[in-house]
Formats: sequence, C-alpha cells, structure tokens
Amino acid sequence: MNTMEIAKIKRVVKDTQRIKTFILDTDVSAIPGQFVMVWLPDVDEKPMSVSYTSGDMGITILELGDFTRRLCELKVGGKIGIRGPMGRGFKVYGDRLLLVGGGVGMAPLAPLAEDAIKEGKEVTAIVGAITAKELLFVERLKKAGVRVFVSTDDGTAGYKGFTTDVLQELLQKETFDQCFTCGPEIMMFKVLNIAEDKEIPTQASLHRYFKCGIGICGHCVLDGTGLRVCKEGPTFRDKELRKSHEFGYYWRNAAGQKIYFGVKK
Amino acid sequence: MLDIELLGMELKNPLMLASGILGVSGASLKRVALSGGAGAIVTKSIGMTPREGHRNPTFVELDNGYLSAIGLANPGYVEFEEEIDVAKAGNVPIIASVYGFSFREYVEVGRVMEGYGADAIELNLSYPNVGKAGAFYGYSEELAHEVVEEVKKEVNLPVIAKLTAGAGDIVAIAKACEDAGADGITAIGSLRAMKIDIETGRPVLGNKMGGLSGSCIKPIAVRCVYEISREVSIPVIGCGGITTGEDAIEYFMAGANAVQIGTGLLSRGITIFKKVSLEIKEYMEENGYSGIDEIIGLAL
Repeated sequence: MNTMEIAKIKRVVKDTQRIKTFILDTDVSAIPGQFVMVWLPDVDEKPMSVSYTSGDMGITILELGDFTRRLCELKVGGKIGIRGPMGRGFKVYGDRLLLVGGGVGMAPLAPLAEDAIKEGKEVTAIVGAITAKELLFVERLKKAGVRVFVSTDDGTAGYKGFTTDVLQELLQKETFDQCFTCGPEIMMFKVLNIAEDKEIPTQASLHRYFKCGIGICGHCVLDGTGLRVCKEGPTFRDKELRKSHEFGYYWRNAAGQKIYFGVKK
Repeated sequence: MLDIELLGMELKNPLMLASGILGVSGASLKRVALSGGAGAIVTKSIGMTPREGHRNPTFVELDNGYLSAIGLANPGYVEFEEEIDVAKAGNVPIIASVYGFSFREYVEVGRVMEGYGADAIELNLSYPNVGKAGAFYGYSEELAHEVVEEVKKEVNLPVIAKLTAGAGDIVAIAKACEDAGADGITAIGSLRAMKIDIETGRPVLGNKMGGLSGSCIKPIAVRCVYEISREVSIPVIGCGGITTGEDAIEYFMAGANAVQIGTGLLSRGITIFKKVSLEIKEYMEENGYSGIDEIIGLAL
C-alpha cells in the first residue's frame, strides 16, 4: 500500500542559508537513496531524498521554488503528507567507499556514510557547493568518521573548483571499491566518466519530474532503457546509465518534453 | 492459443496496455511490449499542444483502488513522432490514444498519428478530469457521434471509441459511436471520484477530483461491457481493474474481444501481461477450450 500518511514536523534544522532539514514524526522508514513524496496540501507534492534513515526519518530541502519555499516556512508541529518510502536505495559493496555530492545532493549520501562507518567501512567524501556557506553536512560527516574533501566554486572553502577536479586528483593516488554520487546531473555524468576510467563501479541518484512516484504514469522513464527513475531508480548503476542516451544530456518536463541540460547532442 | 485478430491487427495475446499507463515515451512502451508481454500497446493520450497536466498529487492509492488526475499531460503530437518510432521496436500493434478540445483537434491529431504509423486510433471520450476534452464528448450521444463521424471521414485506420460509465447511458453512447462508423469500443475509463484527507481537511489530489480505477471499478466495467456487447456488433475491449487471468476471463465472458490492463501493473509488475496470459491458458486447458473466441460472450 502506498497511501498518503500525515506526518508532524518534530524538529527543524537550518543547515545552510538555503537548506533546511525536517525531522518527522512518522512510522515511515527508508534506506539511504530512497525517497518520499512530500505533500503540502493545496500547494504541490514533490519527491525528496531521505537524509536521515536511522532513528527518526528526516528530509533535507533546498529552497528553490514556490513549493520548497512554502515547505521551508513550516515550523515544528506543522503537518505534511508523506507517501513512501519509494524507489531503490543504494547498494553498498566493498570496504573502501567514495562519495561525491554536489549541493543538496549530499542529502541521500550522508546516511549512507553513517551506516557504512557503523559497519566498519572506510568512507571518503568529496563535498561540493557554490560557496562555503552552502556546504551541506560537512560537520555531520566528520563527526561520523568520514574523511572529507571540500570544494567550492568560488574558493571560499577547500579547493576552488568542482568536486570532479578533486575526484580526478584523488584517483591519481588512491582507489576505491565503490563510488556513490548525487548532485547536478552534469556533475554525476563526469563522476561516472572519471570513475569508469579507474574501473571503480559507481551508483548515481537521479532527479526527474515525478507524478505518480510509484512507476505507473511513465513520466520519469529513462530513454534507451525503459527504466523508471521512481521505481527501478532513483539510484542506478553505471552499467544501467551507460545504456541511456538521456543521462547527462536531457530530462523531461511535466509535459514529457525533452529539456536539454546543455547543448543538444 | 491466445492469439487473436482484432480490427485487422494480429495480437499474440488479447491483453493490451491501457492508455495513460507508462505511455509517455517510446522507451517505456517498448519495454511494456518486449519485457512485459503485452499483445498491443495504447499510447498516452496525445493532443495538439504540450500539456503539463495537473499539479501533484496526481496519483494516490486507496483501500481497493487508485485515484488519479494526471490531467492529460503529454508532449504534444509534434514531439510524439519519435516516441512512436521507438515504440515500434516493441513489435506489437500500436494504438494511438487521441484527445481534443474540439472535433477538429481529434481529427487533426488522429490524422497525424496515422502518418506516424500507428495501427489504430483510440478516441479518448472517457477522461473525466479535464473540462472540455475526453469525457466531455463521451457524456453526450450527439457529441460522441459527431466526433467519431468527423474522425472517420479523414482517418483510414480502425477507430476505437473509449467510453466512460460516467455517461448517463453508456449503451446509447456506444450505439451512437457504432452508427457514426466506430470500428470498436473500449469500456470503461476511470470514474470521477475524490478523496479527502481528514487530518488536514483537504482534498488529496491537486485537481481535487480524479478518476477512480483498479479492482473496485471492475464490476461496473464488466456490467458495461456486457450491456454494450448485447447491443453493438463491433468489437468491444474491456478495461477496468484487471489483475488476474480470472478477471480477464470474466470480461471475455461478458463479451469483450480483448482487454486492457492499467493499474494492475502496480501489484503485479510490468510482466503482468505474461502472468495473466499464462493464467488464461491454464484456465482454458483445464476447461477444454482451444481458442479465446470460444469464451467470448459466453455469459450473454
């Protein structure tokens, strides 16, 4: 059953200037990489990665448009609708893990890191943001025992440039059993290319426009594969993504029209 | 054993993908045909211009069915050409679902779909969640008659009219469509309904109202197929709440020549077409039938 459940907001944490975490009072539990559909009555419903998976469930929201702005106005005790958990979470293999997260893309990666450390794995994370104030979960990761590298577009913290530059350099010296990435698709596309050169299997968490969220409407199906991002995803293996000529190039809007990330192939 | 000929199309089994389900892109349709095992695929309903559809929530699960109001979201008929091209690799007949806000739009989109190489057209006269499209035409004998007649004038493919039980007298509508030259009838589309969340006191769907589907509407749909089959001589395609072979057989006995499967994919996955095919076969073997036509209309 995937019915709508109403959850109360238990705690609100302001993570950055534009990002907030909401800890929810709900029986819904998820594994890292899964998502929930979040409903604001009379406003909209959108998919959100689960950012806290052990203990109380949490979601982490970047204020971007009308829906997320209204969501971020909510206080403790506020009510939202939840459908989920949905989709396929990350699958962890090996002992040396590498995470590459851009912006709010750290949301599903942070609980993965915490779980992996608890299981005795070695975790390295490359955390990127446009500027120092927008870096997400750096302290949380360090506290969990993750080795963290930071990059910012403007150089206000860590390496000045992109996560992929840091990745490139890191992989000159070290290797990992598995790489996990979430963030802007162009970034994930590059991460896949770089990791593939070094033969490191990679899983990426994709973002698409979801309507039903449970694999029936077909609006999030990946071209070239027929895979549903909301059902077989949102996390995919590099091998699956390599079959898609859509990944890294375009997505489909609410009407199902192709919208190119950059220049049309 | 399960292969049928329907409106000039060869189907390896009588189970079609219903419109509105996994039908927005060619990749999706192709997967339903190849991995899913559908005998034919019906596309998402396509119109003249791209439509984003209604706001979310657009789909919620209820105790014994589903409520949805996607709102005829589709990329528009210009961009749909490449989707049909990709879907053709599924190697099963493609039925293009068409909606319009005027007779002219139904005709225009139907003609274009014929040009793209669709095998048949299904006129959406059943969708209940967008004002003057879909069910707006299926609620009235006059409008249903006229839209079918206009499309038949300019489209040379088989034309199927998909009807709604929301019409006062669905049998009268089906007869009007047959009179106007329809080659087949699909019955039924989802039924206008709603769900209110009592904790917040708000309607759950973004559109407030939606279309009810799933097993809870099956008895209504079987009744419609039964009544329509007695009154028309063109093929009838049953649709509504089919999840098992037994469900499909019930429709055949009510007079359906084929059936469509939609939300059944949620409980049984994309391969539901293969599973239901097997179940029908088992039933036929146990009961000594060698072809689907021996069951069709048995209850009439």
